[in-house]
Amino acid sequence: MNSLLKMVAGVAVGVATLTVSMAAVADGHLSLAGKKVGVAVVGTQHFWDREAFNGAVDTVKKLGGEVVPVDGGRDNQVHADNHDILLTNKVDAVISILGDGAVEPKFEALKDAGIPVFTVDHSSPHAVNNTTSDNYYMGTTIGRYMADSIGGKGRVAIFNAFEGALRICGIRAGLWKYVMQDYPEIEIIQPELAEAFANAPEDARKKTLDFLNQNPKGTVDAIHVGCWDQPAIGIVQALEEAGRTEIKVTALDGGPETLEIMAEDNSPFVANVAQQPNLIGSTAAMNVARHFHGDTLLPQTYVDVMPVNGAEEAKEVYEQLGYGKL
Amino acid sequence: MNNNTQSMAFDWRGFTGYLPFLVFILMLGYLGYSAPNLLTAESIDLILRQSVPTVVVCLGLAVVVIAGGDDVVSGGIDLSIPAAAVLAAAIIADQLTNHGTAFVPALSMAMCAAMLVGVVNAFLVVRVGMTPLLATLATSVATVGITKVVTASRRINVDHPTIVGLRDNELYGLSVGVLLTMVLVVIFYAAVHRSKWGMNLQAVGGNRDAADISGIPVRRMLAQSFVVASMAGGLASVFILARGSGSSPGSEENLLLEMILATFLGAAFSPRRVVTLWGAVLGAVLVTALSIGFKSIGVNVFWTGCIKGALILFVVATAALATGKK
Repeated sequence: MNSLLKMVAGVAVGVATLTVSMAAVADGHLSLAGKKVGVAVVGTQHFWDREAFNGAVDTVKKLGGEVVPVDGGRDNQVHADNHDILLTNKVDAVISILGDGAVEPKFEALKDAGIPVFTVDHSSPHAVNNTTSDNYYMGTTIGRYMADSIGGKGRVAIFNAFEGALRICGIRAGLWKYVMQDYPEIEIIQPELAEAFANAPEDARKKTLDFLNQNPKGTVDAIHVGCWDQPAIGIVQALEEAGRTEIKVTALDGGPETLEIMAEDNSPFVANVAQQPNLIGSTAAMNVARHFHGDTLLPQTYVDVMPVNGAEEAKEVYEQLGYGKL
Repeated sequence: MNNNTQSMAFDWRGFTGYLPFLVFILMLGYLGYSAPNLLTAESIDLILRQSVPTVVVCLGLAVVVIAGGDDVVSGGIDLSIPAAAVLAAAIIADQLTNHGTAFVPALSMAMCAAMLVGVVNAFLVVRVGMTPLLATLATSVATVGITKVVTASRRINVDHPTIVGLRDNELYGLSVGVLLTMVLVVIFYAAVHRSKWGMNLQAVGGNRDAADISGIPVRRMLAQSFVVASMAGGLASVFILARGSGSSPGSEENLLLEMILATFLGAAFSPRRVVTLWGAVLGAVLVTALSIGFKSIGVNVFWTGCIKGALILFVVATAALATGKK
């Protein structure tokens, strides 16, 4: 029996090694030599965007490709316009990071011109492939963690500006609400709050202070950010300023700044789901190379996420993601 | 003898006025050399199309500066035009998409709202006696706030045929948006440089006291300049919507920067180094060309904000030097 187990284990290790080495061989063949790849990012102000952008740019270069980088300056219209510049520059492929509906006609024009588009965190019918985190898992997990953090009952507010504008946010916030259906004693405060896209921390700080004035102590149990975590930085500041740190904060993305806040003693910021933006950008660039290599890509490539529940896990994930030690 | 020495001396102040123009031409030359496809018909078409919203708001700012004089601090300036444009865009998007209003009534509502911003500016500057810089900064902030109320800080997609047509249709090989903008430029030119109203406007800007003595209604002219400017903002809204296939929050900031840069750069084209309508239009096209050029040669995206800021500083500082007192 024991030897059988050993044999099975041996075969399993062998298969695993083979799979990994085959992947390595396959990736060894990947090259973007002689290819000009446009990398369009909506902004480089926030950690997530910057890291996804850096991951894509570095990997295109590593694979021997030339990069044409364009930055929308956190303005979705400028981001959309930048795709026209890539079109007239006759790039061989475009990696487009984030962006709202304004980019769709631009993707269509690129596709019509025979330039394949690879998106990051933006599903589009005109794109070959979208690389993203497992948004379904993110939405449900943060819902469960938030509900647990307030004992399954209470009044919660949600910053939710992008549920209708970005599909990834629709999934994350939608599934968070789906989980809430099983907690009849949790009430989502209406109207929902809406954060700004640019300068999100400061904007959320002001909006939270106003919100706290309208909702006195004891009437709010948690504030959740539906799609990302930059606003949470400002929310925590506002809670500290107003002396209302009994209110729990949850958000998504798990960038280093927010993991640091979570790791502080008695932090109101209790749960998060960390993404790997650099790996996401890099994977998108690998997908461009796979496409030119003739591989068939699935419409979506999912990159692993790491749930973060409480200060200790924040410290662990911070280290695992290579941000340093807390 | 004294006169003779002066005329032989190098006219430094005149030279300073030409500097921004020289620097821009040198930069464009360099960009054209580094990215040869910047000078193709396709790129020039792209430059014209992308410069449309900036050109239209620049028309408005030029009118205010012509009427108020081009001292950057105490002269005529209107920082609220982009905010009025974005408010108008939000109203049209909201009406078309969320309320099913027809295009003309939606546009009329938006124009009324934009021009109301101009009326408030006129009141603050002419009646209350605030400096235009502060008054229009305040109305700009307020207008952005109203836009957030209208849109709830969310993106509104627009697929109305008029807006899509403005985005995609061409006439004689030129985009309909570009052609309409040309018509607007001609109308503004006729009003400012070929009409009695325009002559009075220029007289007020040239020397307010002299204009007053010669019976020109100075205060009324100043007030009208702000209303005309906000009207230009209102008109820019349809081009903003066409460009972004809808209204995305936060597009006023970039538009404001480009408007200021373009209008004061345009002064370098006039023989007397003053802000003119043609100068502003050319300035807007040049600024767009430069921005596209930098992106085409793959300038590190982390530097582009810095370059833009430095250019604005340079252009405004040389304008101050060229027109300032000894």
